Amino acid sequence: MPGFSQRLGRVQVAASVAMTIKARALRAAGKPVVTLTTGEPNFDSPPQAIEAAHQAALKGDTKYPPQDGTRVLKEAIQRKFRRDSGLEYALDEIAVSNGGKQCLFNAIMATVDPGDEVVIPVPSWIAYAQMTQLCEGTPVLVNCPQNNGFKPRAEDIDAAITPRTKWLVLNNPNNPTGACCSAEELREIAAVMRKHPHVWILSDDMYEHLVFDGFTHATIAQVAPDLKDRTLTVSGVSKTYAMTGWRVGFAGGPKALIKAMVNMQGQATAGISTVGQAAAAAALDGPQDGVQVQIDAYKRRRDIAVEMLNATPGISCHKPEGAFYVFPNVAGCLGKTTAGGKRLETDEDVCLALLEEQFVATVHGAAYHMSPYLRISTATADDELVEGLKRIQTFCAGLR
Amino acid sequence: MSLTAERLDRIQPSLTIAISTVARRMIAEGKNVISLSQGEPDFDTPRNIKDAAIRALEAGETKYTDVSGTPALRQAVAAKFKRDSGLDYKPEEIIISTGAKQVLFNAMVATLNAGDEVIIPSPCWVSYPDIVTLADGKPVLIPCGQNNGFKLRAEDLEAAITPRTRWFMLNNPCNPTGAAYSAEDLKPICDVLMRHPHVWVLTDDIYDKLAYGGFKPGTIAAVEPRLKDRTLTVHGVSKSYAMTGWRIGFAGGPVALIKAMDKLQSQSTSNPNSIAQAAAVEALTGQQDTVEAMRKVFEERRDLVVGMLNRAPGVNCSNPDGAFYVYPSIHGCIGKTSKGGRKITDDEAFALALLDEEGVATVHGAAFCYPGYIRISYANATEELREACTRIQRFCEGLH
Repeated sequence: MPGFSQRLGRVQVAASVAMTIKARALRAAGKPVVTLTTGEPNFDSPPQAIEAAHQAALKGDTKYPPQDGTRVLKEAIQRKFRRDSGLEYALDEIAVSNGGKQCLFNAIMATVDPGDEVVIPVPSWIAYAQMTQLCEGTPVLVNCPQNNGFKPRAEDIDAAITPRTKWLVLNNPNNPTGACCSAEELREIAAVMRKHPHVWILSDDMYEHLVFDGFTHATIAQVAPDLKDRTLTVSGVSKTYAMTGWRVGFAGGPKALIKAMVNMQGQATAGISTVGQAAAAAALDGPQDGVQVQIDAYKRRRDIAVEMLNATPGISCHKPEGAFYVFPNVAGCLGKTTAGGKRLETDEDVCLALLEEQFVATVHGAAYHMSPYLRISTATADDELVEGLKRIQTFCAGLR
Repeated sequence: MSLTAERLDRIQPSLTIAISTVARRMIAEGKNVISLSQGEPDFDTPRNIKDAAIRALEAGETKYTDVSGTPALRQAVAAKFKRDSGLDYKPEEIIISTGAKQVLFNAMVATLNAGDEVIIPSPCWVSYPDIVTLADGKPVLIPCGQNNGFKLRAEDLEAAITPRTRWFMLNNPCNPTGAAYSAEDLKPICDVLMRHPHVWVLTDDIYDKLAYGGFKPGTIAAVEPRLKDRTLTVHGVSKSYAMTGWRIGFAGGPVALIKAMDKLQSQSTSNPNSIAQAAAVEALTGQQDTVEAMRKVFEERRDLVVGMLNRAPGVNCSNPDGAFYVYPSIHGCIGKTSKGGRKITDDEAFALALLDEEGVATVHGAAFCYPGYIRISYANATEELREACTRIQRFCEGLH
């Protein structure tokens, strides 16, 4: 069979998916695997979302939806942006996609020409760089070290921008670190962005509600209204409402950009599943108390994870503001040999040895453009999380 | 720097905007408009399918699924291909996407490099050339005349193949003409393809349950099994099961191609809606009586519409074997003037005048890369179709 497109050769399967598949295979072979790889809440979708989907199916809401989303959902999104962030978007400034991922894909495919640069603070979710490369754009990675809480510094962003820069990507709270910029920190970034009027800003706020200790989430279009006309604000129902499988994400932004994204989506998938849209509208408009239950659980688990990891020899773990990940530094494990006799040279070695010797699945930091770290998901029941962390402690105690 | 990427700028704006704008305005003004322009069945999704969706909701099937779809749905698709077409696909040779459109998008973006050619018989669904263009490919259209039932001749295919040809795309039955190919019709086409081993085959069989007068559409991988390892067989639940809004399409093909498409889908949308996937399992494996019931109604409507259109002066309508469209020639009306004083200069002028003067919305042939015709969808209630055809007759009788 002939080869595939060059663009596809630039894309890889996400490491988190590869690790999940490995873990599944080990479990199928009867091993007691603890999976700390998934980016998926272990809660149920809200009852009002289930009920709305049920009603949508029964009443025959099963025809082609508009490509940019149903009016009912777009109005719910409009209220959500207003309620959560004080942002006003007209209905033609909102688009609905098959997950937040498709919002990003649409935005990048619709705007990035070969050679255009996309500035991505790292560690980051791999999809930003992958989508950029798929479009023959160049990802420009800005290092956000642990000593700054994994947050981007305004001056580092400034230094990374060139005349070819098309986008700056912000992900608050961040996957994989859980770091979240405050309103003040975003204002500093906004000040830099004012100097570069040719650069668009993509703010991926998918984890916006999952912040702890009284931290208030802010988004750049809100703290810098003068930048709103070149900012795309992306969110969705997956993480906040435990609705990953429904695949509903959305974006607010200037009309011309939204129109280009909808045109792009019109060629790729057209509108998205109507029952999912009905459920998402109900989740956004319904009672929000289920969200607080989840926030409390994620905070509790973050505290457990950070404490147990920091009590582990060779590991140092920063305490993040939000999301359901922690990103421990494993530099102290490198150069050592495991109880099973494996020498650890990289974070990927740590990750694989941990899976093979202790059956704990994590993702290595290199998959998020920063080593030597592990990403640990706390979207896991408390017992299982504690069991996984204990095994990590055993693993590290056995290093020599 | 322009906002949109060059790849998006290559896509022509929709040719149906003028007509749909007028139709919307007339409906808003309270005018009686009959729309024969939709590509979706007027039936509701069958109850057993909705019930399956509701069971999935209650069972909490709301988490991420595999990017290529749930094992249950891929198994159901494998069984469907076996049952309906005698084709053997293993679950790993199957991908589920957000509509058959995403299957086409995945296939083209995953395989085309700049300048690669894709052969498309026309009239065709405009998304075929648009998706090819978006993927940097070059659509090569082969006109298929009404005098051959809008079907491709093998010799015309042979003449269009070059060393740069990457794909041959066939829609069987065809949107917009309803033309369909039996196994026998496909044999000479397969013979040509056998002589050109560098050409892959995409067959879009989404309308194949809708065939009339005992006609049975064939499919290339079954007609010529030696082509199966370079054929992508595309299908979906939208048309056969009145499930357009659920957005589930699928394909069977060689594992390397399916894997490449999965990789692309993992970076653009991830899995399709999980509830819709559960509904699609029931559609494919549950009772099939409603498919036949809908098919029978469509057949009666086709006969009604073809009969009435051929009594409209200047109209010449072939009687196609499948889908729910007819594609009458209106060459006999061009150059005339309508009762309302409009000059019928081309098919778009015809469609606009028909809409404005008689309140019947159709799509003109230029939107399917083949002017001089209009597309009429007969997925409307029978009495509504009778009324619409009466209006078309009156409109044509008024031309002078």
